Amino acid sequence: MNAVYDHIIAILVVGMIFVGAVVILPTMSFVNLQAVDQQQLRNTALNVFNAMLLDTGEPANWGSISNGTYYFSADGVERVGLAKTGDSAFYLLDPDKVQRLDETNPLGFLSYEEMRALLGLQSYGFSLRIIPPFNVTNVNGTKIDEDHSPINETALDQKTLQYAVRVSYLDGRPIPNATIQATAVYTDKKDFAMTPPHVTTTNAVGIGSDIIPLYFEPWHITVILRVSVADVATIVVTFGKNPIKIIDINMVGDNVILTRPKDAPNADVKLNSIYFLESGGALNSLYNGTSQDHFNTGEGQHCLWNNTFSGLQDYDPVILIFNIETVPPKNETEHPGNQEIAVAGPYQNLLGYTVFEYGGSPKSSGAAVRIQRSVIISGMTYTVELTLWKESL
Amino acid sequence: MTMINVNKGQMRVIETILASFIIAFALSFVNIFAITPTSPKYEATELEKMGYNVLHDLDKQGLLARFVYNEEWDNLKAALRVMLPLDVYFNMTVYDMHGIEVNDATIFYGGSETFTTSKNIASVTYGLIGYAKRNQTTGNYQAIYNPRILILQLARG
Repeated sequence: MNAVYDHIIAILVVGMIFVGAVVILPTMSFVNLQAVDQQQLRNTALNVFNAMLLDTGEPANWGSISNGTYYFSADGVERVGLAKTGDSAFYLLDPDKVQRLDETNPLGFLSYEEMRALLGLQSYGFSLRIIPPFNVTNVNGTKIDEDHSPINETALDQKTLQYAVRVSYLDGRPIPNATIQATAVYTDKKDFAMTPPHVTTTNAVGIGSDIIPLYFEPWHITVILRVSVADVATIVVTFGKNPIKIIDINMVGDNVILTRPKDAPNADVKLNSIYFLESGGALNSLYNGTSQDHFNTGEGQHCLWNNTFSGLQDYDPVILIFNIETVPPKNETEHPGNQEIAVAGPYQNLLGYTVFEYGGSPKSSGAAVRIQRSVIISGMTYTVELTLWKESL
Repeated sequence: MTMINVNKGQMRVIETILASFIIAFALSFVNIFAITPTSPKYEATELEKMGYNVLHDLDKQGLLARFVYNEEWDNLKAALRVMLPLDVYFNMTVYDMHGIEVNDATIFYGGSETFTTSKNIASVTYGLIGYAKRNQTTGNYQAIYNPRILILQLARG
């Protein structure tokens, strides 16, 4: 055969082998390449998770007061981390920092994009979920909310609070012997009262109910349930009758701040007293209002009232209860005129019995990694779950 | 001489094919040793971290010692169940200093065959030194040295 043809055939064969290698070899190791990619993603996720849960960030109190104000600005944050300052324990988170992730926080929040930039995750997306350790629902399994209350309203007419809830694991299996401590705060036109904590336990099918005598027939009532399993995991549930959205309760460090809710009615408010529930279950008096504690919720400043209570944060307060006196607008209540109201807060959207979600969602069905850790926030146990994925540029 | 020159190209082709096979074989051989995220080693490490995190949290809250020394095994099981993710199964055994099993009730959650069939099982060892006991006469607390070794096995369900 002619040497020229021989070399042409050799070039063709070598070319085919080269093209074949380019196509076949990556396919052969595609699974491993994908796995290595996922491992890289997992390492990044672990680093991000450690930065979030074990680091305090810079400045260390970035979730609290900065530049003399409790209105949050991301400009002052150099590094982000949710760990509590001054505590050597791992996975102990600062409620002030966690509530800055809540996009409904009236005092400002850290947006997802700002968080991504601070964590240096421009080419990654993530979502963070704070999951309660167990479920507390109505007996029929529906979520407790304004339309589905576990209170038997008929019983209230007989000056009795009667409630029933179901406590279950996240997979729906009932939790027997869970401890439920109920405290009711209730008002009528001129009266304000609260019950001492009543404790009951759930039965074999996870249902806990109680009947608590009241001093008078309430018009407004707020019930606070502190539910714990094996004394370890605790969640707090609040619900009531005739809620009026007249103030937003906020807490930053030792400061309690009342802000004007969106579309707030124009009402004159007098602050009578404040109580707080510790994560341990004790209900304490915090403040008795004076003639100075008076404000209007109509147009004007966003911040209606604030006060500093030194050492408040050390108690791990989970709920603040405000007894206020006001004249709600006619369309807000069927019970007109001056009346006392009990309002509970803060943390309406997180640190409760619902899953709190922050961040984005994967745009494609590509690889994503998920890691979880158990954390303590304000003396209560939660599971924090981070999902991280790579975003196409 | 002419014949050798004519067959030179064919020899190169054979060499290239052989070289390709060697490279392909080498790559396949190396892949066997690659540690991927789904490998038992990696998954077990992640479960170990999770297990240690939960035991540390319980200890930090002062509950782990109470559950172990008061033999509140049901409470310990309930606590682990609510603190660990749903898909993580566990089996805990508590030993004394002489290696004798202390827990008379099982501290277990998961399917009956989870720990015999699962490929990825993590094991966390956690030690408790003792507990504080109040002296009824003096009212003072006394440290009682009574070590317990907790072995927590974890597997994905």
